[in-house]
Amino acid sequence: MISSLRDLLLFFWRDLRIASTYRSPFVLELIEALFGAAMFYYVARFVDSPQLRQTLPQGTTYFAYALVGFVYFDYLHAALDSFDRSLQEARDTGTLEPLLVTQVPLPVIVAGSALYPFLATTVRIAVYLGWGALLFGFPLGAANWLSVIAVLMATLLAFCGMGILSAAYLLLLKRGNPAKWFLLSVSSVAGGMLFPVSILPDWMQFVARFNPVTYALDAMRAALLDGAGLLHIARPLLVLLLFAAILLPFSIAAFSWALRRTKITGTLPHR
Amino acid sequence: MCRLAPSLHFALFSLHRHVINSRVADNAISVESLKKSYPPVRTGWRAFLQPFAAPTSPALRGVSIQVKQGEAVALLGTNGAGKTTLLRILATLLLPTSGTATLAGHDVTRDPAAVRRQLGYHAGSDLGFYSRLTGCENLRFFGRLNHLSDSYLHTRIPELAKRFELQSALDRQVRALSSGTVQRLSLLRAIIHEPKVLLLDEPTRSLDALAAADFRNFIKSEVLKKQGTSLLFASHTLSEIEFLADRVAVLNDGQLLALDTPANLKSRTRVATLERAFYRITGHSADALDESRPS
Repeated sequence: MISSLRDLLLFFWRDLRIASTYRSPFVLELIEALFGAAMFYYVARFVDSPQLRQTLPQGTTYFAYALVGFVYFDYLHAALDSFDRSLQEARDTGTLEPLLVTQVPLPVIVAGSALYPFLATTVRIAVYLGWGALLFGFPLGAANWLSVIAVLMATLLAFCGMGILSAAYLLLLKRGNPAKWFLLSVSSVAGGMLFPVSILPDWMQFVARFNPVTYALDAMRAALLDGAGLLHIARPLLVLLLFAAILLPFSIAAFSWALRRTKITGTLPHR
Repeated sequence: MCRLAPSLHFALFSLHRHVINSRVADNAISVESLKKSYPPVRTGWRAFLQPFAAPTSPALRGVSIQVKQGEAVALLGTNGAGKTTLLRILATLLLPTSGTATLAGHDVTRDPAAVRRQLGYHAGSDLGFYSRLTGCENLRFFGRLNHLSDSYLHTRIPELAKRFELQSALDRQVRALSSGTVQRLSLLRAIIHEPKVLLLDEPTRSLDALAAADFRNFIKSEVLKKQGTSLLFASHTLSEIEFLADRVAVLNDGQLLALDTPANLKSRTRVATLERAFYRITGHSADALDESRPS
């Protein structure tokens, strides 16, 4: 256990060290986050109306609503993308095989390689929210941070399974990320990213009811904008954890099977 | 009789285990009737409709090889003979279709983690490093993944770098190094943890003549003699094979045609050089060899 934790940190160190050799992206991301927050602020000012406010939770501005939806999707994107992207990078740079003959098992390699992207995304989200609070009146003071962290952790657990499934798909079929495509496409409409699910047609609201992203976003907004406590968001948290309990073991089994299959076919390093 | 049968069975079983154990203990690598077939390569709609085609292209056809502790065995064969496939199975990167392979007493299929603890592997390419990390950072990262301590790496990396004249490569990003230098780093990575068994696939392919000779000397004097490491390596350089190998395994089209010392291979085929012996054993005409000689 301690050894695996140490190995995970080694991968984090590697990615941090590589990222530090690129100087400008840190600055560019800061500026990009500023313009992103500004864009949401002015779009919100443009569309804001009493009619729109009626569809949003009590006391929430559209700017705050949309910014939370956006940053949450950034996190979801990281959970779905990091595993197969790290695997793809290792394969394309030729480091996958040298890694596989070390004493670290592949699941630790994949999880360790996803650690830095997760933390980088967390920092990016913090920068977005920071700009929003500093310049555009995002109500950061109202947040219940314990609940926010709980929702983010539950999101990671729930959607990492999808990310691992994508990595298994990549091992077998070499390109594409259908899990990410499907979940992000469906959720961007029937998940409540930039508008409430209540304005959708009935059949789409029905779809949204089975989408864990809808619950997660509700919980995230409640925790960040209303300062909701853990008890208040217990139901969406349980939905996310249930999703994780089903998907994680299944995805790990699928990944192991895919790895075994590539060792049989000899296609592990193939692109 | 009924009482005798179980005890007789047990005695036979114990004898059988003893024979297996003694063979495993003697041999650093033991390969028995190893077969490997690949599924046919499919593209386009066929790949989509038949993603799990049966393996029908044989790469190894029942190969059996034993490498003793401290012994160096060379794999010699034409392209596609099965050398790399055999090395990759032993490195736990491929699963065999049938047969068994053990490395330092551990089965490569059943206990790959234990195999990797005893293993140093060089795949023969100059890829496999993080281009934006320095040589030292790369070696330290891979060394730590092999559970070497920081203090050990702190002394071991400069010591080996000095031996291979790679000191300047330690502080430079890998993307700024020549392919030969990267290959030497890769060889250094394979031996940094002093493995019991070393698998090298064309170890000196990208090296200049001086660096190749230096590496061969190091392997012979330090790795084989001092550390007692067992070596299985594939090479097309016959002088390298004669210098390093105690025995040579000649592979052709996935079959093991001969396994003997270089001297015995030459005397068996009644020729003066290993090159000619290889031609004889694999059934190729040596005419091309004569024609290629400068007049």
